[in-house]
Amino acid sequence: MRLAFILGEIGSGLRRNLSMVISVVLVTFVSLTFVGAAGMLQMQINQMKGYWYDKVQVAIFLCNDSSTSTGCASGAVTKEQQDNLAKMLDSPAVKQYINDYQFESQADAFKHFKEQFSNSPIVDSVTQDQLPSSFRINMKDPQKYQIISETFSSQAGVETVSDQRQVLERIFEWMNGASVAAMVVAGVMIFCAVLLITTTIRLSAFSRRRETGIMRLVGASKTVIQLPFILEGVIAAVVGAVLASGTLWLVAQFWLNGDLSQQFLNTPFISSTQVLVIAPVLIALGGGLAGISSLLTLRRYLKV
Amino acid sequence: MIRFENVTKVYDPNARPALDAVNLEIDRGEFTFLVGASGSGKSTFLRLILKEDRATSGSVYVAGQNVANISSWRVPKLRRGIGVVFQDFRLLPQKNVFANVAFAMQVIGKSRSIIRETVPEVLKTVGLEGKERRMPHELSGGEQQRVAIARAVVNRPGILLADEPTGNLDPITSMGIMGVLDKINQNGTTVVMATHDDDIVNEMRKRVVELRNGVVVRDEAKALYTSMIPVVGESRRMKDASDAEIDRAQGVQQ
Ligand SMILES: Nc1ncnc2c1ncn2[C@@H]1O[C@H](COP(=O)(O)OP(=O)(O)OP(=O)(O)O)[C@@H](O)[C@H]1O
Ligand SMILES: [Mg+2]
Repeated sequence: MRLAFILGEIGSGLRRNLSMVISVVLVTFVSLTFVGAAGMLQMQINQMKGYWYDKVQVAIFLCNDSSTSTGCASGAVTKEQQDNLAKMLDSPAVKQYINDYQFESQADAFKHFKEQFSNSPIVDSVTQDQLPSSFRINMKDPQKYQIISETFSSQAGVETVSDQRQVLERIFEWMNGASVAAMVVAGVMIFCAVLLITTTIRLSAFSRRRETGIMRLVGASKTVIQLPFILEGVIAAVVGAVLASGTLWLVAQFWLNGDLSQQFLNTPFISSTQVLVIAPVLIALGGGLAGISSLLTLRRYLKV
Repeated sequence: MIRFENVTKVYDPNARPALDAVNLEIDRGEFTFLVGASGSGKSTFLRLILKEDRATSGSVYVAGQNVANISSWRVPKLRRGIGVVFQDFRLLPQKNVFANVAFAMQVIGKSRSIIRETVPEVLKTVGLEGKERRMPHELSGGEQQRVAIARAVVNRPGILLADEPTGNLDPITSMGIMGVLDKINQNGTTVVMATHDDDIVNEMRKRVVELRNGVVVRDEAKALYTSMIPVVGESRRMKDASDAEIDRAQGVQQ
């Protein structure tokens, strides 16, 4: 009976304040979408780190015919220079820093290149001798890249020493920045959402002050008086959170794993199922914030 | 049933107290009128019983319990034992007569079958049989007050507090309401009624407690609105009376 009564009160409250309730739904929807987007970016960063960090290597690119750097003034790398570099890599001074290394010939490089850009017209315009051969080094400690770089960049036949990890770090930094920006926007939006929920609950309490006054006098418990208002805010916010989760799922399903994964074949995108992990967090966040702000509002504006 | 021990209530430290060292005991089943000029502290007295306000000093006992010791989560229980009626009825305008009375039972979790059984009984007691489906705006003031009384007593409280329940009604309608309150009192409910209505007090011949500036100046059984023992004389009374009461008195004379 009391439950039916509370549900009825919630229903009438939602109907009475429909426009305010809709704005609460929309504001929580937008703010939680930003929160979720920030979360998705972090998940994506972790995913890419996990996938690439064991794969990325320090590469010592050797001179080819078209190299222009100063170390390559004497033309393409010779067999002798290449053997010398391999010997250095095997020497104890260098060996202590690396797990192993492979030599990637121009032919290998061309094969990989073709794989990577198989559905791009760029493949047709690149020939094998335009690509450099390289030593691919797996570091024991990726942070020690500087030592390898210093040892090898001035050697004859070396065009450049590149740390792929650094390139990735830059991408991750950028993605991290984007997720921080999303969090900031989310923070501002959540602040708006809280203010709006507060105002809505206040209006709702004001428009029903006659009922609540009578409820108080006939001895209705605090819960029965307050719960309809609190649930009104919570329901609106949870609807917003569900919409936000749905939107993020659609983004993961049809954009990340649709268009984007077609364009970036080698990038491991997070799956739409993984995104669903965010949904309960958003719902709890939305519902929790609405519940707390309604409760605090009621404490001030609804005498019990 | 209700006991005030040296109760003082100060709202504004710069003004005189609304109630000043009031000692009073009201027994179970009694019918008591609370009279006095506007601002003399009648509503404050009733609010303290409901724990709507806290006494500044002294103790208020309701059904043997000091209300100051009732924790906030048990205040609803206290209020379930007390029905309240006001001058302005306070009905819910979108609900019909039945729903207005049923509301008081719904919010404390009474079952639908008990509500369906009890509400018509109570409406009969207050003389509103057959008007269950009327909306408040389709009722006269007296009928609206009967609905309010039905709502106040539907949960069978031991105490009924009425703050000027006839303030908005003509004398004949008021007498009808008094009949209802008397009947409820006959059924064992303690009734405390604050009023300005001298005709009613004189007609009913019940206990009268008179407040003046927050002090109990008279407590008489089977009494009249004005004391039969003149206190100091008319001039003194006029000096202490509020402007509103003077206006009212002059209005009567003209
Ligand atoms: N909430 C309040 N805050 C401050 N002062 C108050 C408050 N309520 C009442 N008072 C003051 O307390 C005094 C007693 O008021 P109370 O309402 O009890 O009088 P009353 O006898 O019911 O008057 P009336 O017959 O006009 O209803 C008055 O001086 C009033 O101004
Ligand atoms: Mg009053």
